[in-house]
Amino acid sequence: MSDAPRLPGLRPTPPRLLQSAGFRFALLFIAIYSVAASFLVAVLWWATAGALDRQTIASIRTDASTLVERFRESGTPGLVEAIEERLALDAQNETIYLLVAADGRRLAGNLRDWPTAIGEDGTWFRTRIQHDGGVAEARVHRRDLPGLRLLVGRDESERVQLRLLLTEGVAWSLGAVLIFAGLGAALIRRALQARMRPAVATALGIAGGDLSHRVPLSGQGDEFDRLGATMNDMLDRIASLMAGLRGVSDAIAHDLRTPIARARAKLEESLNTAAGEAELRAAMEEGIADLDNISRVFQALLRIAEAEAGARRAAFAPLDLPEVLRDAAEFYEAMAEAHEQRLETDLPEHLAHVVGDRDLLLQAVANLLDNAIKFTPPGGVIRLEARDTGARIEVAVSDSGPGLPPQDRAQALDRFYRADSSRHLPGSGLGLSLVRAVAQLHGGEAVLLDAMPGADPPGLRVVISLAKL
Amino acid sequence: MHWLFSLPVSALAIIPIQAERPLRVTTDGAEYCQTLVLRLAASPNATAELPRFLGEEGRHLCANGRYRAGIAKLRRALRAATAEQRGG
Repeated sequence: MSDAPRLPGLRPTPPRLLQSAGFRFALLFIAIYSVAASFLVAVLWWATAGALDRQTIASIRTDASTLVERFRESGTPGLVEAIEERLALDAQNETIYLLVAADGRRLAGNLRDWPTAIGEDGTWFRTRIQHDGGVAEARVHRRDLPGLRLLVGRDESERVQLRLLLTEGVAWSLGAVLIFAGLGAALIRRALQARMRPAVATALGIAGGDLSHRVPLSGQGDEFDRLGATMNDMLDRIASLMAGLRGVSDAIAHDLRTPIARARAKLEESLNTAAGEAELRAAMEEGIADLDNISRVFQALLRIAEAEAGARRAAFAPLDLPEVLRDAAEFYEAMAEAHEQRLETDLPEHLAHVVGDRDLLLQAVANLLDNAIKFTPPGGVIRLEARDTGARIEVAVSDSGPGLPPQDRAQALDRFYRADSSRHLPGSGLGLSLVRAVAQLHGGEAVLLDAMPGADPPGLRVVISLAKL
Repeated sequence: MHWLFSLPVSALAIIPIQAERPLRVTTDGAEYCQTLVLRLAASPNATAELPRFLGEEGRHLCANGRYRAGIAKLRRALRAATAEQRGG
């Protein structure tokens, strides 16, 4: 017995067996199987016993109509003769007739007495008859004629025997059907339980805290394998996210500890050694600048988190992407010139179907241009392009810098990644993470390529593809 | 063993019939044998081979108290006589 408290308003828990999906499937199987078997029996019955019944009724109806016609043609004597003739020629010994006058006097037929308690003209009824020392069943039809009452019937002994045989066969067949249905249902239940067991065991393992469990696949490629594969994909994704989360936590702890410690050390040193107010003030300003940098890193992290969570999607609006890109290019052109670089643009007048977050897109492009300027040597060229590929909008920033080895490109999009060659340069390692998050927020992706494949240095080309909305 | 089969079946095969005493059929005794013999004798083709043969057999069976078989033979004799009449 479970001691779990029952919440008010909730339905009582059904019995354990009924909670089993396997059992319910089995019940469904029995129901379908039984309906099919019943339908088959009904058809069989209708085609055999039913056909015999219909044949008997048709025969009696025709016979009665013929006798009524004979009465109209030849009167009572003709009708009497017709009945006697029919009885005399009945080699199968199955016909039943009785013709009585209005006063109850018997005129013809092979029944000794008029049955009691039968209906009016046109009535059909079944009765028992006694002949040859035995009792049989008969179906009888009553027709009334002017001054006369007529019964026409057929002995149904043989039909009753046949019906009994059929009923017997059907009863045993139904019994067999139920047994097979029960066996089939038990097999279905066992099979379902057997196929669900690996998934349940995996889920229990995960619930126990071990994320390494995966659903073993049977290789049959059926629904259970698809469910297992989907669960495994989901678990892989969760494991990857958790690893990413751990990495981010470690990176935050590692990358922010140093500037905080440095700022603290500077302030402490100034407090102890500052000769005058001016020196103390300068140290404090330096400390504030360090803390601003730390604050910017947190702001960038928050923006990435917002973009990844899709929280900014509500702010989406139609925008003129070339104009946004021109603004960014104008701002960074001066910076490129200061580094003796050239910033070229290849932007169309208009790009249709762009709906997005203007600020985030501007920030992403600014990050790319900032990176490009940072890594491109003096005299190098930086290029900003945008184009409509039909299905998507692509924005690309290329530079003639050292580029990025292919094996580092996947990591370069992670938070706080710094290539070895760039550790001496200022930066937080969050720029490309934001670019990727913004691209994904806009239904696209960010891809890193060689700007000039085969050249040395190859440069870097970052392509952001955006979905057309 | 048969009762084992027929027991559940008889329960399933109940047919609603009138609950009065069985109606007595009159065409299964010596009296009806005699009626058929007379009817066969009056038939124009009673002397043809098949009707005559069947009629003799029927009379013999009826005389020995086997009314059901005798009546069946006499009816077949009458059918044969009728067929002869129609054919001839």
